[in-house]
Amino acid sequence: MEQLGNQWERDFCFFASLPALLWQVFFLVVPLAMTVYFGFVSEQTGALTFENYRAVFDGAHFCIIARSVITALLTGLVSLVVAYPVAYFLALRAGRWKGLLLFLAMVPFWTNFLVQIYAWFFMLERKGVINSLLGILGLPPLVTTNSIGAVFLVMVYCYLPFMLMSLYIALERFDERLLEASSDLGATPWQTFLRVTLPLSMPGIRTGLLLVLIPAFGEYAIPALLGGSHYMFVGSLISYYALVARDVGMGAAFTGISGVVLLGVALAIYSFLRLIFGKTRVEGEE
Amino acid sequence: MKAQWSRSAVMMPLVVVCVYLFLYTPILVMAVFSFNSNPLGYQWQGFTTAWYGELFSSSEVWDALKNSLVVAVASASIAISMATALVLSLKRSILSRAFFAFYANLAVPEIVLAVGLLGLFFFFSISLGITTLIAVHTLLGLGYAIPLIYARFESIDRRFVEASLDLGATRGQTVRYVVFPLLMPALLASALLVFIVSFDDFILSFFCAGGSTQTLPMYIFSMLRADVAPIISALSVVLLVSSSAVILLFSSLQMRKLGGMS
Amino acid sequence: MRSIRLEGVSKSFHGEEILENLSLTIPSGKFFALLGPSGSGKTTILRLIAGLEQADQGRIFLGDQDITLLPPYERRINTVFQHYALFPHMNVFDNVAYGLKLHGLPAAQIKQKVLRILEVVHLGRHVNKPIQQLSGGQQQRVALARAIVNEPDVILLDEPLAALDLKLRERMLVELIDLQDEFQTTFVYVTHDQSEALTVADQMAIMNYDGEIEQIGTPKQIYEFPTSSFVAHFVGTTNIFEGILRFGDNQARIEIEGLGFFEVAIPQEKKWLCNGCVLLMGLRPEKIEISKNVMEGFANHLEGNVESIVYHGRSTQYNVRVENGLLIQVFEQNEEHFPREEIDYEDTVHLYWQKENVTLLER
Repeated sequence: MEQLGNQWERDFCFFASLPALLWQVFFLVVPLAMTVYFGFVSEQTGALTFENYRAVFDGAHFCIIARSVITALLTGLVSLVVAYPVAYFLALRAGRWKGLLLFLAMVPFWTNFLVQIYAWFFMLERKGVINSLLGILGLPPLVTTNSIGAVFLVMVYCYLPFMLMSLYIALERFDERLLEASSDLGATPWQTFLRVTLPLSMPGIRTGLLLVLIPAFGEYAIPALLGGSHYMFVGSLISYYALVARDVGMGAAFTGISGVVLLGVALAIYSFLRLIFGKTRVEGEE
Repeated sequence: MKAQWSRSAVMMPLVVVCVYLFLYTPILVMAVFSFNSNPLGYQWQGFTTAWYGELFSSSEVWDALKNSLVVAVASASIAISMATALVLSLKRSILSRAFFAFYANLAVPEIVLAVGLLGLFFFFSISLGITTLIAVHTLLGLGYAIPLIYARFESIDRRFVEASLDLGATRGQTVRYVVFPLLMPALLASALLVFIVSFDDFILSFFCAGGSTQTLPMYIFSMLRADVAPIISALSVVLLVSSSAVILLFSSLQMRKLGGMS
Repeated sequence: MRSIRLEGVSKSFHGEEILENLSLTIPSGKFFALLGPSGSGKTTILRLIAGLEQADQGRIFLGDQDITLLPPYERRINTVFQHYALFPHMNVFDNVAYGLKLHGLPAAQIKQKVLRILEVVHLGRHVNKPIQQLSGGQQQRVALARAIVNEPDVILLDEPLAALDLKLRERMLVELIDLQDEFQTTFVYVTHDQSEALTVADQMAIMNYDGEIEQIGTPKQIYEFPTSSFVAHFVGTTNIFEGILRFGDNQARIEIEGLGFFEVAIPQEKKWLCNGCVLLMGLRPEKIEISKNVMEGFANHLEGNVESIVYHGRSTQYNVRVENGLLIQVFEQNEEHFPREEIDYEDTVHLYWQKENVTLLER
């Protein structure tokens, strides 16, 4: 609270606010700083060096980073396209179904995502549901649990509720009278969507994309369980360096570079979205 | 706006239904198969509740559950306490800028955090176990709790505080009798949120729990890693039902509160 | 410019019938006001014309064109909404240019039209501002510009001045009249504020609580010659007397219980008036002369006691209790700083009026 009265109160507040701040420093700032630092420490000699970072910049590592970036971007995009109509319907068109549909949407959201992954085992396995259905139709078993496709599909499945929630919250507070005004001024429903609804739901889209992109990029469990041993993602490689190879230097360097790439991608998307939905300025005015 | 003249009036509900089917089919299939008496494949053999029996008698499951609960309750309590103390203590000017820093707890990918923390514990020779788990989950919890509590704090009408002071209460008393009760809903909501996040957390736990401690998600992961065991289906269904029950309870409480207020 | 015609239009919401078999013609190129209490269905009529609602029954015409089934974006009709509905993610220019851009006009032409209309509404300097930075009155003018710039056949205004304070409202009313005059577009103005309607309208319609149109006419016709006591009460204030009509020695009189006989002038149209029939006499407060002294030259006269006085600045209102217990309202214009006569509480006063200045009503 502001404008504190006496010295005792001031001291009390100082000490009361310390735990959270100290926690933050010790458990977040220090580990991150260490990660950066150890990227510069050689595993063998213990001296400061660039060799870790140099090793990261070779083909194999970037292949993995690229794979994670593309998968994350695709997951974000697909979940956005799939979730948007649902969020729109829930927020603006659902009427008396709204309560029920919202509740149904919450359940996958709160389900432990390992359970969600496991549920797909039944669908995707060689002898699972989808393949059995294909078999009935006379088709060969097409899906498998060890593929990039499986990883991608389950990622979309797990992150869809997050995107849905972000979009729903943004669309919920949408002023429907703007839709009427747009229609009144001559816009077809599609034009109204592109020019009014979509731009105004941008904050929700941004939040949703960030909520999906960042965890999807570093995802560990899904590739570990469904990716098979052929494909490595950023999460798998970091874990490998940390737990299996125990190469602190390489692990730190790789983590650092991945983090930077992620940041770059996130900023690029943010600026891109900003760009397409700017405002018109009339030349010569103030 | 009526949509009699647009095709989306028909298309949209269709899309919505398809998406909901997509979301629920795997879960429902899994629920059905949790009663499958075939322990190996995915062929249906017969109905049985044997796996539920095995689930409830497995000491490994109970241990993991106990650990998850202990860690969740502890981290929720600690995180909420620290968050409240922070929000109430920091000067407004610093707080409004500082609280952005706590977003980092959520913004940094969990695996980066996990590995960094692992390194930290290793560097300071801290042995991994329940304590490190609680510490780590609390960090995550702070990231959720502080924005929520701060938002609620900001929305409290300043005039309540002024009225309290005007009527003769000290700042401490004002906090105790006015601010704190008004903050309660956010505290409860945050506590629940942190509890759920901690209970469900996998990555941080996986890296920072050490060999001898296991949380429920870690248990599930190890079983999945090894091979399919139908006990996991049973466990999944139990978790699903309990989380649905909690949501139902929560929404009905909210409905009741809204109904009571009107 | 084209006219609007509603034929046999009915509309219900949630089982409640708002409009039933309503027919209305709004003449082309005029400033038309639709006046009525809240819930009378006037906004519903507006939304039906705009296409934002669909009629359950009946047809709507724009000139000769049947627009009943046309969606709003295909009608050459634009609306100024009560709460403006300006697009928050666009600045003033983009808001006003919205309709023009949709019609694919070239950018140079759009710029020219937008700047010109903004000058007309005195917002030229604010063209690049985000709308959040504008005051209520400025936002209202942007909403107006946004509608007018498309040069539609009809402009619909849904209580556009409701959110503004009194002085701003008065100014905006004049600006609206000027705009309609300049563009000669058909304006349909919906309001529950009778002074607004009387100020702006060339023609107006009054609606009652049941969604029916009570009367259509010029403001003066409606004010001076209301056809029902609803209209007489809703527009301005009226004293209503119930009595029996008596013909005798070339003069019609109304017999009011407890007060006596008063001369009335019977207008041509009121054919239903007959000797001995019950009727209502409406007398507007400003048509009554009030004085402590006896005055000559008036056909009708009443005595009473001043019960209360309300000072309105321009005029003073006297509430006078007369013999049969009725309370009569009288308005006197405060013409002089130092009036010749001071009327005070509990004074005995004489009320006078001419027989032509009453309205005879059936119900």
